[in-house]
Amino acid sequence: MSIDEDRAVKAAQDTVVRETDNGYRVLGAPEKSVTHQHDIDRIPEKDVTQEMLSESGQNPEAWLVYGGNYEQHRHTTCEIITPENVGELELEYEMSVGSGSSMEGTPLIVPGDPPIMYQSNGPNHIKAIDPREGEVLWSYTYAVPNDVVLCCDDNNRGPAVYEDKVFMTTLDSGVVALDRYSGEEQWYHSTADHERGYSATWAPQVYEGTLFTGSAGGEYGVRGFHTAIDTETGDEVWNTLLSPETEWVGDSINQSGTTNWMGATVDEQRGKLYLPMGNPGPDFDGSVRPGPNRNSIGTMCLDMETGEHEWFHQESAHDVWDYDSAMPRIVIRDVEIRGKERDVTVSVGKTGWLYTTDAETGELLVRSEPLCQQLNMFRMIPHIDEGRRVPFMPGGMGGNDWQPGTYNPELGISYHKLHNSFQEAWWRFEEFEAGKKYWGGILEDETEAEPEGYNGHISVITAVKPLTGEVVWQDWIDSDVYLWGGTMSTKTGLMFAGNQNGEMVGYDGESGERLWEYDAGDAPISGDPMSWYDPGTEKQYVAIQVGGSGWLRRGKRDDRLLVFSMEE
Amino acid sequence: MAKVNRPQVSVEDHERLARKLGVSSAGEELTVEELRRVIDTSDDEEFASMGEAVRDELRGELDDDLIERELSELATQLQRLPEVREAGIPDGETEPETLYRELVAPGWRIYDHLVETGFFESVEAALPRFTPEHIERTAHGLIRSEPLAAALEECGFDERERTVLVMNVVNNNNRLARWTPTKDIPDEVEFNVEDVPPLQQRAMGGSLLWVKNLDIHLWQKKFLITDEILDDGYWDVKAMLGGLYVMATAAHAIATDGSLSDEQLAAALSASTAIMITNQEEIVKDMFWITEEMRKPSTLR
Repeated sequence: MSIDEDRAVKAAQDTVVRETDNGYRVLGAPEKSVTHQHDIDRIPEKDVTQEMLSESGQNPEAWLVYGGNYEQHRHTTCEIITPENVGELELEYEMSVGSGSSMEGTPLIVPGDPPIMYQSNGPNHIKAIDPREGEVLWSYTYAVPNDVVLCCDDNNRGPAVYEDKVFMTTLDSGVVALDRYSGEEQWYHSTADHERGYSATWAPQVYEGTLFTGSAGGEYGVRGFHTAIDTETGDEVWNTLLSPETEWVGDSINQSGTTNWMGATVDEQRGKLYLPMGNPGPDFDGSVRPGPNRNSIGTMCLDMETGEHEWFHQESAHDVWDYDSAMPRIVIRDVEIRGKERDVTVSVGKTGWLYTTDAETGELLVRSEPLCQQLNMFRMIPHIDEGRRVPFMPGGMGGNDWQPGTYNPELGISYHKLHNSFQEAWWRFEEFEAGKKYWGGILEDETEAEPEGYNGHISVITAVKPLTGEVVWQDWIDSDVYLWGGTMSTKTGLMFAGNQNGEMVGYDGESGERLWEYDAGDAPISGDPMSWYDPGTEKQYVAIQVGGSGWLRRGKRDDRLLVFSMEE
Repeated sequence: MAKVNRPQVSVEDHERLARKLGVSSAGEELTVEELRRVIDTSDDEEFASMGEAVRDELRGELDDDLIERELSELATQLQRLPEVREAGIPDGETEPETLYRELVAPGWRIYDHLVETGFFESVEAALPRFTPEHIERTAHGLIRSEPLAAALEECGFDERERTVLVMNVVNNNNRLARWTPTKDIPDEVEFNVEDVPPLQQRAMGGSLLWVKNLDIHLWQKKFLITDEILDDGYWDVKAMLGGLYVMATAAHAIATDGSLSDEQLAAALSASTAIMITNQEEIVKDMFWITEEMRKPSTLR
């Protein structure tokens, strides 16, 4: 059956996301969630075990968690595609997923015969796919309430799998669990009231029967939290508020933002979670939330069992530029740094620096060279009004926004996609209503002037050594639209990334030389590359989603999944 | 090292102070004592009525023993500042030892008491927002108030530093105007006003949070921190604590129903707010927003 007759695809196509003065509003969603089954008998009924999840990074046949492994390396150990032969990498097929909304996610691969791909995109549409043939086995569209508001598009950045289920966060601040073999809904858990401005767009994490999910809505006056949910029942295990009462003045905490709107990194050895933390609320008016505004913008460590706060490292105290630090944290183990062997966490935020912190204490060990330009940075914009505008870099988009980076342990290099653009911001009073935008100021993308010293390149992909902070190479990119999506490295020394000019690129990881390019057309590539080996076909595959996304300069929409391959 | 631990004041700062107070500086460094001799000394009844309103509202609500005890503790902590600067960055293997947090322990106890008693709401209700006119009145009141000068002197502010505190009030019109009293944020605009604390609570609470967080901030980022950063922050910390001392002195005067006139009381409440606001915006620039130019060079590359 073609997806033209797929009711879940039709439901997703009917779900329109319209830009309004108050962000994005979802319209036309189905009243009830829709599952459409095709050839579900093709899905091997073999549960995903914890052992499989824990070994995902070492297994070239699998991509079972969002970041490839729990340490979020986005690194494949498959060695078929090399710098020497990458020039011969060819498109195996491209498939239309049928819903051309936000395409920012990472598909997962469950090994088997055939392997099964779980692929999601906006607005809350997910499929099981036979990736050998590019055929849909079932599809599902969640019934998003029509009054959901979103700051930044109808993103869904990927699912999670465990045992017989696949999990997807929902735009109305929930999590839905589906039967992996049939696409039928098992349970739904709401983590917060979407009418207050809460939403959810990230890939959740699962460890030993517990699912971890965060909070979004920092532009709508919410208070951030992180929640653990039982994967079997959908019941809450714990819920932790992320901004401590002792760090905020009076009731300002009630609308403190401080959400974590990208997934946590699971440290199974330590029993910890590392959360990428977003902006304080309101975004630009710091006078109503004095103090450093912990735990906004930085890395938050929680105890995985209890949700208790362990440590927090801040990247922009009392932030007034919307410098979220959303990139999922990379964990690097057993490294000698500053005279001691330790595990470290790595983040790159909108500030444009890479931060390497001790995983045990949160102590900053390395702050890198700037990975993009920093001009007029950390100027006190609350005291700039519209009559005295100053363009600053990184702008409110960053730096590195949510784009997940990759780490190649063989080379000791991580790779990051950053904006290299400027914006202006100033204060203004604006109307407040629960669930309505709450910025306390204006972020202006069309500036009156550009900062002195700007190099003219809107984006950059930067390779950096997290243990020293040294920038190894940079690929500056020109375009009219912004650069989204993640990166992926290979054991053979390659690094893959799509860009906003529709190019899928294979880089030499050490030199930055473009060894292979594929022209996907004029739509931006906003997805994250991922890879797997299929022993049934004896091929290594690389897949990525295509289509413009985001709330600003996002380019043309598309709905394609590209799958490249190379035979052994 | 001549400038270490000293507030940085330029000729322009002095000229601006003189201009705004309507006195002649003749290129000289002004002092509070000199200003007291030359500024208008006539009573400001309207300003005094603000102090009176606060006093009436809070009469019998505040614990004079508690405030007196903590003021004494706060003065002791202010005297410790040079040794805290000497230590610079807290020690600690897995977390910072208490260094800066000790400085603000009495401040927190005062703050908690003032929150419990509704002090901040009463003060905000009585005082207007920071306009050029109100700032000028505040400065005049502060300069003329010998008890406040004496209080600051007792806790370690010399003549030059006391003058800089006056500058914090007078020379920051635009900055202070941006800190809107909660009562003046119109109901139909901006955010949920119910969740915005009174302006004076934001000034004191914010100051306490900045100093408190220096332990973890400096300890975590020790590889970025230079002596210059510590030196620049020294004055910001001292000024915020000085502002807190002045506000607590005002609270004590209310509790004991004496020691400050109504006009002096209004000046103390308004000036201390301005000092704490100005210097919490300075400390974030001096110590927290560490640019590439400010940081200690990396030893790893």
